[in-house]
Amino acid sequence: MGEVSVKLTVNGQPRAATVEPRVTLADFLREQLQLTGTHLGCEHGVCGACTVLVDGAAVRSCLMFAVQADGAEVTTIEGIGSPDGGLSAVQSAFRDCHGLQCGFCTPGFVVSVTAFLRDHPNPTDPEIREALSGNLCRCTGYQGIVNAVQQAAGAARRGELR
Amino acid sequence: MTERAADGGARYAGARVHRVEDDRLLTGRGTFVDDVSLPGMLHACFVRSPIARAAIQRIDTSAALALPGVRFVFTAADLNPGVREQWHTTIGKEMPETPRPPLAEGEVRFVGDPVALVVAESRYLAEDAAELVEVDYEPLPAVVDYTEAEHAKALVHESHGSNVIAQLTTVPASAFDEVFASAAHVASETIYQQAYAPVPIEGRGLVVDYSSVTGDLTIHASTQTPHEVRLFCSRLLGMPEERVRVVTRDTGGGFGQKVMVQRDEMCLMLAGPVVGAPLKWVEDRRENLLAAGKSRQEHAAVKMAFDADGAIQAAYIDFVQDCGAYPTPWPLFPAAAVGTFFPGPYRVPRGGFAVKTLYTNTVGRAPYRGPWQFESLAREVLLDIAARQMHVDPAELRRRNLLRRDELPYKNPNGMNYDNISPLETFEQALAMLDYAKFRAEQAEARSAGRYLGVGLANYVEASTPGYGVYGTEPATIRIAPTGRITVYVAGGSSGNSIETTVVQLTADALGAKIEDVDTVQGDTAVTGFGAGTAGSRSGSMTAGAVRETAAVLRERILAIAAHELGVAIEDIELADSRASVRAKPAVGVSFKDLAALADAPAGLEASARYTANSPSIWVNATHVCTCEVDVATGRVQLLRYIVSEDCGPMINPNVVEGQIAGGTVQGIGGVLFEHLAYDDDGNPVATTFMDYLLPTAAEVPAIEFGHIETPSPGPGGYKGVGEGGAIGAPPAVVNAVADALSPFGVKITRLPLGPSQIVALLDR
Amino acid sequence: MKPAPFEYHAPNTVADAANLLAELGDGAKVLSGGQSLVPMLALRLAVFEHLVDIGRIAELSGIERRNGALWIGAGTTQATVEASALVASEVPLLAVATPLIGHFQIRSRGTLGGSIAHADPAAEYPAVALALDATMEVVSPRGRRTIEARDFFAGLWSTSMEPDELLVGVSFPIWGGRSGFAVEEFARRHGDFAIAGAAIGIELDAVDRIRRCTLGLIGLGSTPERARTVEAELAGRPVTDVEPDEVGRLVMAALPSVPSDLHGSAAYRKRVGAAMVARAWTTAAAEARHG
Repeated sequence: MGEVSVKLTVNGQPRAATVEPRVTLADFLREQLQLTGTHLGCEHGVCGACTVLVDGAAVRSCLMFAVQADGAEVTTIEGIGSPDGGLSAVQSAFRDCHGLQCGFCTPGFVVSVTAFLRDHPNPTDPEIREALSGNLCRCTGYQGIVNAVQQAAGAARRGELR
Repeated sequence: MTERAADGGARYAGARVHRVEDDRLLTGRGTFVDDVSLPGMLHACFVRSPIARAAIQRIDTSAALALPGVRFVFTAADLNPGVREQWHTTIGKEMPETPRPPLAEGEVRFVGDPVALVVAESRYLAEDAAELVEVDYEPLPAVVDYTEAEHAKALVHESHGSNVIAQLTTVPASAFDEVFASAAHVASETIYQQAYAPVPIEGRGLVVDYSSVTGDLTIHASTQTPHEVRLFCSRLLGMPEERVRVVTRDTGGGFGQKVMVQRDEMCLMLAGPVVGAPLKWVEDRRENLLAAGKSRQEHAAVKMAFDADGAIQAAYIDFVQDCGAYPTPWPLFPAAAVGTFFPGPYRVPRGGFAVKTLYTNTVGRAPYRGPWQFESLAREVLLDIAARQMHVDPAELRRRNLLRRDELPYKNPNGMNYDNISPLETFEQALAMLDYAKFRAEQAEARSAGRYLGVGLANYVEASTPGYGVYGTEPATIRIAPTGRITVYVAGGSSGNSIETTVVQLTADALGAKIEDVDTVQGDTAVTGFGAGTAGSRSGSMTAGAVRETAAVLRERILAIAAHELGVAIEDIELADSRASVRAKPAVGVSFKDLAALADAPAGLEASARYTANSPSIWVNATHVCTCEVDVATGRVQLLRYIVSEDCGPMINPNVVEGQIAGGTVQGIGGVLFEHLAYDDDGNPVATTFMDYLLPTAAEVPAIEFGHIETPSPGPGGYKGVGEGGAIGAPPAVVNAVADALSPFGVKITRLPLGPSQIVALLDR
Repeated sequence: MKPAPFEYHAPNTVADAANLLAELGDGAKVLSGGQSLVPMLALRLAVFEHLVDIGRIAELSGIERRNGALWIGAGTTQATVEASALVASEVPLLAVATPLIGHFQIRSRGTLGGSIAHADPAAEYPAVALALDATMEVVSPRGRRTIEARDFFAGLWSTSMEPDELLVGVSFPIWGGRSGFAVEEFARRHGDFAIAGAAIGIELDAVDRIRRCTLGLIGLGSTPERARTVEAELAGRPVTDVEPDEVGRLVMAALPSVPSDLHGSAAYRKRVGAAMVARAWTTAAAEARHG
């Protein structure tokens, strides 16, 4: 069961590596590319902590093998902020609204919300809660997170998401 | 964002300041234990028992060891003899203990019991090898149902001679027979709560890094108590404590589960020095749900006697708790707290309790946010049942019995001496926020349209900030560098509770510094003094004390140097905005940066001090009110409004206070409506993934509204602990709301969880 | 929680995929979106020597009208189905079912064919395929054939496809006239597999008589179910005479065996199923009458 080679773009940088086919995209990002902001909370596709963008779509990186991302463009939490190192509108909103406590689930929420608001810049409150339901948080009771999405939606409407 | 204090300096306490933790956590630059990667690091995986109780006949590790990349497979014979001492600093050496072998010896006692530890070059390989470890088990009769444990023939621990771990009766129930016999009303029920668990999104984990050259052991740990991990490890291995260093940067939630050192972590500590390379174990989700410990799972026969006006005459609780096979810690004291707190914030002239703790062949009990919250669940559910029986509104029944300020301090019949609380005030505030009368009118209208709304009320008082033993002390070091940067060092143990921001806020205020000049170092035992970490809702008050004591020393020195430098009396100096200036002549002054350079270049100004608590605990109270609608066709409960009015004294940071309350509240909601760490009749756990163990999501929880009453505590700053309360108040409020909604059907709720199928079963009864 | 090792294959054509499946035999498993398969691999509940990733086969993607039906390529993601105007106009039942699948992050990767081939009785697409009499198009080295939905779902997580057959597309009949569609599900939490659910279509004639109706059931058997006898009883009746609760009762009475688990007994599932049928019937009937 040999290794296979993959080439992909991660946070704008071309990356090439060889990888065992069974290695998940999440483990590949964390272990081989040392992008440890993508977190593993369940490894079976429920908690959402490992969410990344693959070709722009929010996906569970624990439910995808790295080989399946060959040729893809991947954005992790490390690539979400402004290029100058500042926080994105979504990240700032999470900070302003106390949308995180321990911070372990946070990368998955930030990536998911970034994709959601890009596609739905004008969400209703039930739409926000439904969109958030694919990510689990055990600290906040979701109060600050819902508030953060409402705040960031304003930026999304103004086209200032990133 | 900040208000000006009387002395002219910025005051950060009380303000919703941004957290200092957030920038790194929001950008993926936090450092959780799984993010620690050391050269040559090896990875561990446990072989765990698939059977609730069995004799281990044989373990064959040869196939696993033959797999390329596998370095070691340890069994009990390899690791267990390495144990020197095993006791927790916060519990003490003299306390009784339950057995706790690192790996199972001779017998497995629950599904998930660690039997062998595989060490390989990657976690993938370690899991491959774990499947190749052959263990022959001879199944033995298992004790699964704790309600039958006491009289079961099978014993979980043969050596203990009984499945009763320990029991305690203060006063027998019969002592109150006369009161109950002559009471105008008596309410009496047996109330059950199912097993659920803390379930932090990050599991437990350690990286153990031993240098055979220096003999130094460094442990990177996911923990709420870095210093406990250090001292426990030094005793476990018989190593001098100065050789052990524990480093914790970010911990992905704990909620009690990461307070104690459990068997899995002991195995890593024992194996680490042997494997010749750094060794990592990160608990995966299945392991966390199998083996990290359960909480709740208990019941009690409770009764209350009332006079004709509804005044409580007596309250008694006979409490029984399932502690699994390997509880940590010894469970009697936490169980006894269910008894001592049972009277709650009410006028209860007489009462007593009996508690019993039991072994079963299930995962061991571990601490969880509000470890004795059953006292509130049982009391508040019983009060609603009593009100219904007496045809009194549940709000009115509580109002008649809640303690008033002028009755404080008040000693409950079990010896708890409450003070500085405001139960009647939080209760009335919460009811006013809801507009209770208006809700009752809406409820009546909805019922006539075939919709079932309900309101649930719950009051509690809890003891935060334990002041006994090592819990009652906390140190800090504050250093002003010649660069002007101020660093405050505290023990740490933050697992989401914002202690970094808290001490930065408090230090800035205490010194008169700008908040942006203050940094904090926490969680590294090499550079911080012993503190007991995050437990018992103690961090806020205790670190406030530590910062206050330390800053006071440093202030004196700053004032003395500044007075000398500026040629004025000490009384004429004021500290604000990271400057010492002459009162009434603000332009004349000297910056902290220059003072630090003057003091002792290049070391700067530094002070260390330790705060010792002045009371055995700090009381805190709250009221939870929630409303719901129940779909009687499906049993679905939709929470409509959720209100918490609490009295945590002055707030250091309202965002953090509300965040703690909301998080605890949603855990309590989850515990009633969704979560169940269930076992089948043979002792097989049936909720070992997130597809079966249901954490509430944003779509299931309502917006939470906060009310605040402020009664200062006698502790530093008047602050109180607020970390656990949400998880205490929420369960009875939710149960009572559902019961109220279903009252037209004559439904009485005494058994949890309240999943939709259970609700339908109640309706069909 | 890491998957066991496997050999990875990524064919570029359907023919290559079919040949691979034939060659590799029982040790091979098709990997489509992976949203059901990868968790089972990670938990090591399933182990395969070979995974055949069909994600790079362009001919498996697409949504188009073919022979009076709507053909959807098996590799089309649920997110693509969700966003398709063609699906919304031609197969509304599929459109209303799609947002109920998991969460949007799952639908980004999960595919229509993957869901149908996985044949989970609690999933939405198998029930919709059965309810609409969809036709499955499968390919093996022996050629191409079609399987009617009623013959396709063989048991829990199993279908009548041969081991070397690959599902390449599904054709959904297009309902015309005065029709209405609804899916109602009851799940413990938003996005969970349903405890019970119903996927219902109703077509009315000009005077509100039921010309045809379909009653698909989710989570109420070891395969997706359909209450054909009840459909036949209802056909021809004026829709205004039909009590939704009565439909729910009839459908549950006609069910063979209903599963039990931690989240609900068989009796509970039937109760919820009756409520879901009634609610879906109400919505679909209103849509059929009023558009």
